[in-house]
Amino acid sequence: MLSKRPKASTIIAYLAIPLLLYIFAVFIPLVTSLFYSFFEWKGGPNKTFIGVTNYKTLLNDDVFWLSFGHNIYLVLICLIGQVGLAFIFVMIINTRFVRLKGVHRTFGFFPSTVSAVSIGFIWTMIYDSRRGMLNWALTQMGMEDKTQVWLNNSELVMTLVSIPLIWQYIGYYMIILLSATSAIDKEILESAELDGASSFQKAIHVVLPMIKNTVAVCIVLCVSGNMKAFDNIYVMTSGGPHNASMVMAMYGYQISFAQQNMGYGSAISVGIFVLGIAVVGGMQLIQRWISRDEVG
Amino acid sequence: MIEKGYGLTRGKKIRNGITSVVLNLIMLIFSLSCIFPLVWMFYSSLKIKREFNADVMSLPSNPTFSNYQKILTNTDYHIGESIMNSVRTTVISVLLIVAFGFIIGYFLARVKFKGSKIIWIMLLMGMLIPIHSLLVPIYVVFNQTKLSNQWFTLMIPYVAFGMPIAVFLVQGFVKEVPTALEEAASIDGCSFSGTLFRVILPICRPVLITVAILQTFSCWNEFSFALVLIKETRLQTVPLAMTQFTGQFSSDYPKIMAAMLITMAPIVVLYFAFSKHIIKGMVAGAVKG
Repeated sequence: MLSKRPKASTIIAYLAIPLLLYIFAVFIPLVTSLFYSFFEWKGGPNKTFIGVTNYKTLLNDDVFWLSFGHNIYLVLICLIGQVGLAFIFVMIINTRFVRLKGVHRTFGFFPSTVSAVSIGFIWTMIYDSRRGMLNWALTQMGMEDKTQVWLNNSELVMTLVSIPLIWQYIGYYMIILLSATSAIDKEILESAELDGASSFQKAIHVVLPMIKNTVAVCIVLCVSGNMKAFDNIYVMTSGGPHNASMVMAMYGYQISFAQQNMGYGSAISVGIFVLGIAVVGGMQLIQRWISRDEVG
Repeated sequence: MIEKGYGLTRGKKIRNGITSVVLNLIMLIFSLSCIFPLVWMFYSSLKIKREFNADVMSLPSNPTFSNYQKILTNTDYHIGESIMNSVRTTVISVLLIVAFGFIIGYFLARVKFKGSKIIWIMLLMGMLIPIHSLLVPIYVVFNQTKLSNQWFTLMIPYVAFGMPIAVFLVQGFVKEVPTALEEAASIDGCSFSGTLFRVILPICRPVLITVAILQTFSCWNEFSFALVLIKETRLQTVPLAMTQFTGQFSSDYPKIMAAMLITMAPIVVLYFAFSKHIIKGMVAGAVKG
């Protein structure tokens, strides 16, 4: 802290504009959605106050809870696929066998810098039934009977939309974990090796405990990232077929903009807000609990 | 590292050899899979539709730039226009985020004033808020205040959403800088603003570059808010224009690929030119934020 404080007018002059902008874009909309969630409003000039009816509908709305379930599914599968695989790749890269480490870093990280919209398009083209790479590969391998219109398969569609997500971010988490493992003292690993630890044991009992704080950060990032899945679902399936790949943000968008049901859309927004805070906040508590013994 | 081949039995050597091949192969497949779509899109975009539909994987027999030519010369596609919109939105948003992040971050780190706690909590909340819960209400608010469909529309949410992480990164950085510098400048008669911009700003350069890198990618790639706030074709950013374009030419993959590569080009060039810096910046932003 500075010993000599600037004048109050100086402080206000510097902070007023950015803070007003911030409040306008973040807090005013939050309050607005809370307000309109108590109305029946189809986007036109007429609004009718209907109390908590929208929330009652929301609690019994199967599609909304299905979407929430899909968000949770994405979170779980991406925790395994993104953070889990990234950890395995980090262990592989850190062995003395692997060459071209720099190339793996640069190439692996690349997809995470591309927009989710582009990634969605690329994978739509891969899954395409007539011109797609996936059906092409199956045909080449003589498994023509396995080819299908992939994104119309409601049982597979969640897995199919999560593959691009996983693929896009493995490299991202790989780099974060790599920077954490590079801080580990090489001697500790070597002495573990001399004690006869296998590489699997080394990974679980030596490396993992030493980078657990970074792993916790990755988990929080992964959870909050997948709670807000929208862009590539919009591009690939728009939530279809028959809501089989619907996620919360997509559902809120559809209700509000395709059906022009702004009142209920606002209630869904509040629902997304509450569930998102609950899940991400819960994760952060767990993270703090994990890193708690470090300090003590 | 020195190979410790010395003293190893032959069996162990062979086993090491196999492990080495397998591990390198796994990593190579992963790395190549990350780049392959780019390569595939590039050579496929040099085909014409008929050739692509006949065989989706083969190299072009008669490479042609006609797809690129059509996209760049036909203004009905709005690709060039959307790139200009994205560049303008991204550049101005990033500059504002850096400026605001620097100022607020500095104040929170150094100046004791009433309300600093509230500002801190507000920014922290901004980071926790699930961004898509704002999608519908922001549309309502912007529509009522006539702020949607303007050239500056998207900068408002982008700057606001980028601010918290920028503030936290700057605040963390400034806290590590000794106050002696500012005290000395103040004794030398330097005003508060003079100290802020002439002494502190240059010191904060590394963290501000990190902020700028992070935000450049997120502003360039942002889609959902552009989707609800921009309805006019001439104001579309790149991701929006791409969804329109693919809807229009859904059967002409080579053309879509050419358009995608054109719109991705700025970011791809930026990435491969400064990949070390960019990777470092994005990781710092993720871990500290």
